[in-house]
Amino acid sequence: MPKADILQGTLDLMVLQTLDAMGPLHGYGIARRIEQVSDDVLQLNQGTIYASLLRLQQRRWISSSWGTSENNRKAKFYAITKAGRKQLAAEAENWNRVAGVIGRLLRLAQE
Amino acid sequence: MPAWLAVLLSRLASVFRRRQLDEDFDQEVRAHLDLFVDENIRRGMTPDAARRAAVVRFGGVTQLAEQQRDQRGLPLVETAIQDLRYAARILRKSPAFTAVAVLTLALGIGATTGMFSVVHAVLLRPLPFAEPDRLVRIFEINPLKRWTRNSAAPANYVDWQKQSTVFTEIAAYNGVDDKGRSRFDLFVSGAGEPQRVRGLGVSANLFRVLGVAPSRGRLFRDEENLEGAPRTVIISHGLWQSLFGGDPAIVGKQVSLSGRSYEIVGVMPPEFAFPGRDVQVWLPPGYRPSVFVQLRRPHWLSVVARLRPGVTIEQARSEMNTIAARLEKTYPDTNTQMGVRLEWFHDSLAYDTSSALLILLSAVGVLFVIVCVNLANLQLGRAVSRSRELAIRQALGAGRGRIVRQLLTEGLVLSALGGALGLVVAFSARAALARYAPDVVPVFADVRLDRAVILFNLGLSVAAPILFALMPALGSARSDTLQDRSDSVSHKRSIRDLLVACEVALSIVLVVGAGLLVRSLLLLNRVDPGFNPSRVVAFNLLFPGARYGTDEKALHAIEEVERRLQSIPGVAAVGATSTLALRGFTYTSDATVEGRAADDYERELRHISVSPGYFRALGTRLVAGRWLDDLDRPPKPPVTLVNESLARKYFRGAGASGKRISFTKGYEKPEWLTIVGVVADVKQDGLNKPAEPESYVPLAQQTQNSTTFVVRGIDDPALLLGAVREQIRGVDKDLALTDATSLDGLVSDSLGDQKFRTSLLSGFALLALFLAALGVYGVLAFFVSQRTREIGVRLALGASPRRLFGMVVGQGMRAVVAGAAVGLGGAYAAGHAIDALLFGVKSADAPTYAAAAAILAVVAAAACALPAWKATRVDPLVALRTE
Repeated sequence: MPKADILQGTLDLMVLQTLDAMGPLHGYGIARRIEQVSDDVLQLNQGTIYASLLRLQQRRWISSSWGTSENNRKAKFYAITKAGRKQLAAEAENWNRVAGVIGRLLRLAQE
Repeated sequence: MPAWLAVLLSRLASVFRRRQLDEDFDQEVRAHLDLFVDENIRRGMTPDAARRAAVVRFGGVTQLAEQQRDQRGLPLVETAIQDLRYAARILRKSPAFTAVAVLTLALGIGATTGMFSVVHAVLLRPLPFAEPDRLVRIFEINPLKRWTRNSAAPANYVDWQKQSTVFTEIAAYNGVDDKGRSRFDLFVSGAGEPQRVRGLGVSANLFRVLGVAPSRGRLFRDEENLEGAPRTVIISHGLWQSLFGGDPAIVGKQVSLSGRSYEIVGVMPPEFAFPGRDVQVWLPPGYRPSVFVQLRRPHWLSVVARLRPGVTIEQARSEMNTIAARLEKTYPDTNTQMGVRLEWFHDSLAYDTSSALLILLSAVGVLFVIVCVNLANLQLGRAVSRSRELAIRQALGAGRGRIVRQLLTEGLVLSALGGALGLVVAFSARAALARYAPDVVPVFADVRLDRAVILFNLGLSVAAPILFALMPALGSARSDTLQDRSDSVSHKRSIRDLLVACEVALSIVLVVGAGLLVRSLLLLNRVDPGFNPSRVVAFNLLFPGARYGTDEKALHAIEEVERRLQSIPGVAAVGATSTLALRGFTYTSDATVEGRAADDYERELRHISVSPGYFRALGTRLVAGRWLDDLDRPPKPPVTLVNESLARKYFRGAGASGKRISFTKGYEKPEWLTIVGVVADVKQDGLNKPAEPESYVPLAQQTQNSTTFVVRGIDDPALLLGAVREQIRGVDKDLALTDATSLDGLVSDSLGDQKFRTSLLSGFALLALFLAALGVYGVLAFFVSQRTREIGVRLALGASPRRLFGMVVGQGMRAVVAGAAVGLGGAYAAGHAIDALLFGVKSADAPTYAAAAAILAVVAAAACALPAWKATRVDPLVALRTE
């Protein structure tokens, strides 16, 4: 299965979506979730998730707090904020629109 | 909150919690890996394989941590803070260097800032009027009378108003001298001593032309120009505060000025000044139109006009020339060769001072560059001794840019300190200027440390390290290994020699400039003012027209004052005049000389009224003929004395006595004055200006209400001033004595500008010399310390200390001689710029150049001697052992 490169902004969007869907998660959980959802098409360098997390936190779209993981390890949990949800909605709509346009273009090209 | 602001705040906050955040992240990564390992083990991997797989999938931790740090904080700011800390530590470690650097920078930046604040106030800051760059001054010029920038005749001014189309309006004022200072004294009488205020007569439309509004009350109405209108006055903010205590109901009140009552109709805002900051009251002249439009002979109006939008000054010039030519044709009797000259109003105010200011600014700029070059030199010296430290830093991975930044930061710290101190220097210089040289800055200019000046100061503080730190920094960053030290040392030596040569060249330019000014000043001090200034005081009395309305009354009072002063014990002689020597302010009139063709003499002739005792009190020689005496008054036929210049120019040395001149050209019955004597030339416009032809008529023939009295004492007459005041009170208790000065003080004040410039430039030159000497010494001392071994060998092999001394001095003087040659050449090439400030010497004055070179040679040799002497004291054994 070929690995896919992902864009920076795309990763941010995926993180936001994951947190919105799953509730608070730690970094490892987010990374695993994204890999699972993509059926392991996306093979992240898992560390890169942290650049995205920091970026989102600086924009106040997610918040963080220390907690305990399912197997009793201390870990930092991230949760989406209200501003984050707004951003997610906007980004998602934007993404769909672009995807729609590109899809149409590709279909036209094939005909 | 916008996302970018949130990011900025977050980054800013993390600058202060770096360690905490680093630890946090560290823990987070560890937790991540542990979770990963746990899962891998659950899937059946061995613990070792599980950890390896986790680490591989996670990616480089150190790299990530580094990236987080950059993304989290403000990396630029953080390294800058780091550099600053390090710089502070380094500079604390070498306090001598730091002190020299900060102090020289403070002087360099301070002097330059101070000078700039003056230049800014005089030449750059817009005048406080609406669209000040549309205002022009209109002068009358006349080759026949040798006028280049003269006041205008009222009738010509009226014709300009009627005929011109290029101006929105033309306004006029009068009562200032050629330096723009008010010569129009008024006295506010009331309780206590009458107080003098400086006035200016203005046409009612002047404020409209300037486009200014009063802060209280109103401007003048056009009908207030005319005689018979109610007397009105507009006062300055300063006078409103000082004399009226800021009375909020001031508008509409009456004030008594020189015995006449005026209604205060307006108060101007604090920043308003016109034409100078000394003027406190503005009042319309109250002229009679029928007379005013006829006055084509007396020239006493300063004219200012506002260009109509879209009109250029060239267009205005050409139209005004046409009008002047038309007037010349219509009124040949008065307007022959009468032309006009248009200047931007701001330029006209700064006319006398701009060249001197620009020269001083350039001089101080040169000084600033010397300061920087000197520091660059010192820095290079330090760079060699610091090359080990820098090499280690590079070996540990500091990039070249990082090292350059570090060194630049050190420079910035130095110059920030120097710049801040420099602001203090500039501030105190400004106070000193106001106190010791009040006449140096033209009276319209308000020198203050405003935003532009502070920005300039900041600019210098940033420019300085670029000059003195960047170059050494680039040099240092190049020698990037621990080995090639000897190479870079000799390389730096040649750069340092070059820098020293630069310092020498620049400083000799300043020394030559200062030398020329010093010589001028010495020559000026030797100029004979035409009178004997020692033990003489002078003061002014105004006999207000309201009380002394007729000539008889005024003359009577003047003679009464003279008589009373004469009676004071210790007074040797007393005299009175309309115009004291060296005041640069004279009355002139159209003159006719009996028996001479009109173009055989200068028509415009100065006339000064004097009492018979005046020249005796002044100590002026009589060259021919007789003095005036008490009998020279009507009804006796009128007489006059003339000065030597007049006798020489009008009569070519043939005896002037008995000849007749007249100031009543165009009158129905000309009045001829018989010349009865010739007196020595008295300097009127300044010791540096030639005497002009002058005629001295008896006060009894032509009385002036404003009169200067001159009292020669047997001893110091300043001690008599108390008695003088008392006697004057005896004549009229409302008379106010103003402008009291000793004639020594008058002579010395008349040189105020020159003295100030000379001492300033000499100060710059001395500082420059000192810095150059420091540079020479620094390089040579370093040279000796680097070559201790070689010198030891030479001595061990039998070199004589004297030859060694010569060798070292020769080494040092090489750069000095090269620099001096270039500097002298440069001074010669740039010399003509200073010509305008010189008196009696040319800018290419060989003795001055020789003296400058000699002074420099002595200073440089002294700077070389110390290291050279140290070289001869090197102990060969110690020297050979140390390396």
